[in-house]
Amino acid sequence: MQTVRKENTLGRPAAWLKEFLQYMRKEYMLYLMILPGVLYIVIFKYLPMYGITIAFRDYKVSSSLFNAPWVGFDNFVNLFSRSAFIRALTNNIFISIYKLIFGFPFPIILSLLINEVRNSKVKKFVQTSVILPDFVSWIVIYGLMYAIFSPSSGAIKGLAEMLGHKGKIPNVLTQKETFKSVIVISHIWKSAGMGTIVYLAAISGIDQDLYEAAAIDGAGRWQQMWHVTLASLRSTIIVLLFFRVGQMMYAGFDQIFAISNDLVMSTADIIDTYVYRLGLEQRKFSIATAAGLFQSAIGMALVLITNYIARKVDPDSAIM
Amino acid sequence: MAKSGIKKRSVGDIISDWLIGIFLGLLVFTTIYPFWHILMYSISDSRASMTGGFFLLPRKPTLLAYQMLFKTKQIFIAYRNTTMKTFFGTLLSVFLSALTAYPLSLKRFRGRNFISMGIFFTMLFNGGIIPTYILLKDLRMLDTFWVYIIPGAMSAYNMFILRNYFQSIPSSLEESALLDGANAFQILFRIILPLSMPALAAIAMFYGIGNWNSYMDGVLYVNEQRLQLLQVYLRQLIGAAGAKGALGDAGDLGPASRLTEETMKMTVIAVSIIPVLIVYPFLQKYYTKGVMVGSIKG
Repeated sequence: MQTVRKENTLGRPAAWLKEFLQYMRKEYMLYLMILPGVLYIVIFKYLPMYGITIAFRDYKVSSSLFNAPWVGFDNFVNLFSRSAFIRALTNNIFISIYKLIFGFPFPIILSLLINEVRNSKVKKFVQTSVILPDFVSWIVIYGLMYAIFSPSSGAIKGLAEMLGHKGKIPNVLTQKETFKSVIVISHIWKSAGMGTIVYLAAISGIDQDLYEAAAIDGAGRWQQMWHVTLASLRSTIIVLLFFRVGQMMYAGFDQIFAISNDLVMSTADIIDTYVYRLGLEQRKFSIATAAGLFQSAIGMALVLITNYIARKVDPDSAIM
Repeated sequence: MAKSGIKKRSVGDIISDWLIGIFLGLLVFTTIYPFWHILMYSISDSRASMTGGFFLLPRKPTLLAYQMLFKTKQIFIAYRNTTMKTFFGTLLSVFLSALTAYPLSLKRFRGRNFISMGIFFTMLFNGGIIPTYILLKDLRMLDTFWVYIIPGAMSAYNMFILRNYFQSIPSSLEESALLDGANAFQILFRIILPLSMPALAAIAMFYGIGNWNSYMDGVLYVNEQRLQLLQVYLRQLIGAAGAKGALGDAGDLGPASRLTEETMKMTVIAVSIIPVLIVYPFLQKYYTKGVMVGSIKG
């Protein structure tokens, strides 16, 4: 009895492996084809994940990934005792929340309004122009903002004169008090077009009969917009909302790196910019990696949680 | 909505039309005007434009700033680097994504779930800035051109877009080719890819725009001037360092004294956005399509 069982446990994987090797020999071209992609993912995505271990080591520039001494959670203790990190974390959360509250509804409202335009050429023109800012980098957008808001030579001067304002114009790009608004508004401005594409496509799929039925029931234009258009967008809105909540730990590295400066650092510094300064400028690799790991871990937890809730609310809207 | 046009429109309807029109008009203005402003400012006479305000037309048009800018070597170096990054980076990315997406699109390919999950996981969790930096340092890729095209060679998101598209192609086409004795590479390049042009165009455009606009890799991994990217050069010029300081390599700053720093900044920005503005009308169509292809769940 025992010998038979032994043979079985050993025999089964061997047979499986043999069969698999046979399959691989037959389809070796497919494996050859996917090899570069798999190598790429392993080297450039998974090796850095192994590199995360330096968050638990005392890594010096001279040491290698493998021989740096282990220090447990010391780097995390150190990290949370730094007021600059706490500040970056707080900024990160607030900027994300503001972007969500003010930025999320904007493309929805915009698509509803674009949908109300009757002239199809005008509609197309509006749609096309709002996508434009998505084609340029944040560096260029900083340049555009500079051109508009520079107090000495910007277009803002013309606007102030038109409105009868006299005296000095504040520089919103270097002013702490208003900088979070600059971040949020410029984010809305750049990403509005991308959002409207998805919503407008969903709107174009709405059954026209629903509008006629609503009109017969006496629904006016704004009521139709609310009860038909917006109601039909419900599941699209839920999917995108959960997606955005899952991205809360990422407050916009590209953007803030490009548009912020030392004068507004106390209000604009987020985890990514903090990691960049601590790690690559001050060369505190281990502590910076700990900050990055904290961010990715919370970020992944958020994605998994929102996905779980999404599946409960509406099974079609879950991404996994 | 068009059907209700036959009916007589109420006063309320007309007022809402006006409100919507004004709102959208203002929005379009705030989107387009900044680009226009930069272009007009860059061809205006520095002294006339010093006072700021709106630039619906150039003031005393001159190309002096462009002449000054093109005297510097660095703008050409930066332009060349970004163009090369965009061209080779996009080519490599599309190629690698297609090679990876095709086997994953086949039901008979064993290991597809395992590999797909492995790639999907990289969308949820990543090593972060510092471990990636250390890896690239250990691979001796810092301060080389490779660092622009290889570490970002494949986006999992774009690869899945392509895989989904491949899956939508009827498998009968592939089966008949298999019977004719075609191998996997022949099927991919002769049958699948020619049928996937809309998806390929969309992801090529995503990669292309991404490459043209990327600057974090230029900031994080490259110090050498000869490898500087256009966006990084732009950041240096419009940033704190100032345009004239960075333009110092032009040597003779004689005529530059008639130019203000502002005009130089606007000119550099203009030079970096003009190519984008030229291709934009052609690309935005694909962009819309690409976002649509991508929003189909994978």
